[in-house]
Amino acid sequence: MNAMSSVLKATGLTKRYGKHLALADCDLDVPAGRVTGLVGPNGAGKSTLLQLACGLIEPTAGTLEVLGGQPGATAAHLARVGFVAQDTPVYPSLTVDEHLRLGARLNPGWDAGLARRRVDRSGLRPGQKAGRLSGGQRAQLALTLAVAKRPELLIFDEPAAALDPLARDAFLRDLTESVAELGASAVLSSHLLGDVERVCDHLIVLAGGRVRVAGDVDALVTGADSLEMLVLTHLKRAEAAR
Amino acid sequence: MIWLSWRQFRAQALTGAVALILLASFLVVLGHQIRDGDHSGAELRDRFQSQVYLLDAVLLLTPALIGLFWGAPLVARELETGTHRLAWNQSVTRRRWLSVKLLLTGLAALVAVALVSALLTWAASPLDRVADERFTTIFFGTRNLAPVAYGIFALVLGVVTGLLIRRTVPAMALTALVFVVTQALVPNLLRPNLVPPVHGSAPITAEVVRNLSFLGSQPVISGLKMPGAWVLDTSELRTADGARVSQEAYDNCVSGSFDAVAECLGALKLHVDVEYQPADRYWTFQWLESGFYLGLTLLLAAFGLWRIRRSGQ
Repeated sequence: MNAMSSVLKATGLTKRYGKHLALADCDLDVPAGRVTGLVGPNGAGKSTLLQLACGLIEPTAGTLEVLGGQPGATAAHLARVGFVAQDTPVYPSLTVDEHLRLGARLNPGWDAGLARRRVDRSGLRPGQKAGRLSGGQRAQLALTLAVAKRPELLIFDEPAAALDPLARDAFLRDLTESVAELGASAVLSSHLLGDVERVCDHLIVLAGGRVRVAGDVDALVTGADSLEMLVLTHLKRAEAAR
Repeated sequence: MIWLSWRQFRAQALTGAVALILLASFLVVLGHQIRDGDHSGAELRDRFQSQVYLLDAVLLLTPALIGLFWGAPLVARELETGTHRLAWNQSVTRRRWLSVKLLLTGLAALVAVALVSALLTWAASPLDRVADERFTTIFFGTRNLAPVAYGIFALVLGVVTGLLIRRTVPAMALTALVFVVTQALVPNLLRPNLVPPVHGSAPITAEVVRNLSFLGSQPVISGLKMPGAWVLDTSELRTADGARVSQEAYDNCVSGSFDAVAECLGALKLHVDVEYQPADRYWTFQWLESGFYLGLTLLLAAFGLWRIRRSGQ
């Protein structure tokens, strides 16, 4: 279990897009078994960190280990990480059923029963084209694809940002249940503190490409008025330091 | 991965298949028409040459269409709509994802172009024997092997352009541009030099003069034909001792009546030194040029497979 004690371990992690510094020399150690909330203002580097974590992009400098390995380097490593991208992309011309088939064909650990149960419970019709789904339904389908490969780590990039309050409520509930059912760790980014407070037990505050605070929510909130006050204090401090 | 690649390619493949079936049927009918009855060479030209030219144009265009509509969108559309973030987070590496897609669409391109090329080569062969111009741009590039290599090249060119440009329509435009430039450069710069040309001498008889396309005010000619060969360059008109024919003797002949020019020049027993590719090199050239295109294709594919690791943004 010692290799598994961290799900994300960053050392001097830096990502630069041309002149823009998206992440500057970040050190992070996210323990296993947590649901981690990544919060910060727009442009703080949240998406960059998550895309680095699933191997979509590569760091400019520094290292990021995910589940003890290089993100996205091998098929075996890809199988251990589930990623739900921002705005939850799906293939518009493929049906819900075809998406499940895609998942089954492309993931050796695919849990067909879990996928079927999730689709049924979300009220997705198997023959429906994904292009005709509502935002909430699309998010549910993307979540199903990420969960049914039975990953050890689930990563969500602003998964609920575009959803209406009801759909967001249902999605966050499903997200929490899925993480619990898999016994997986999870990292999700959000700029909605309420969402984070509801589902997360570990917190990272990012601002200006730097980690401002990181730790278990219980420990962090002790001595502060509330999670919201804590985060705002750190964000204001980051703002003032610029 | 094969299932997903096929599922995503299905609509384009079906469109292509319908066009292919129509074109193939037309070629089969035309091939039989050309063979039915005992046509002389001139009759064949009168009746069928324009149709064959049209089909040559279609076959020259086919690889470009494959590159534009099968190749360019393959990766570009995923990057444009963001679905690569879904595809590349399944338990399949990006290299494998791209390899399978390239192999499947590449195979489809190969089958499609090979079928059209084989049928056109067969259908037009009686006419081609009359025309006897197997090395020229149109004939060389629309018969036998070469078009198949163009098709696979265009496909991979489209895919890799899409990977770099990341947007479908600009990738299509750039694919078309690069493909057209390649197709213009290769016959003019590369093909003549695939094998060092043969140097020889051709006698200028009255018969030869009648078939020339150009006689200048200086004693130079163009349009010399040698059976089945590709004439690259001809010298000025020379006398038996290798010296240039005197301007006076040449002018004497050329200023006469049109019919008399040929007889008059023929009587001078002139020759030209000629640089040419002999007829029996045709298949060597087909293989070499196809090999050149396939080599480019492999380089492009290798570049794409390397580059896709850095295309995640």
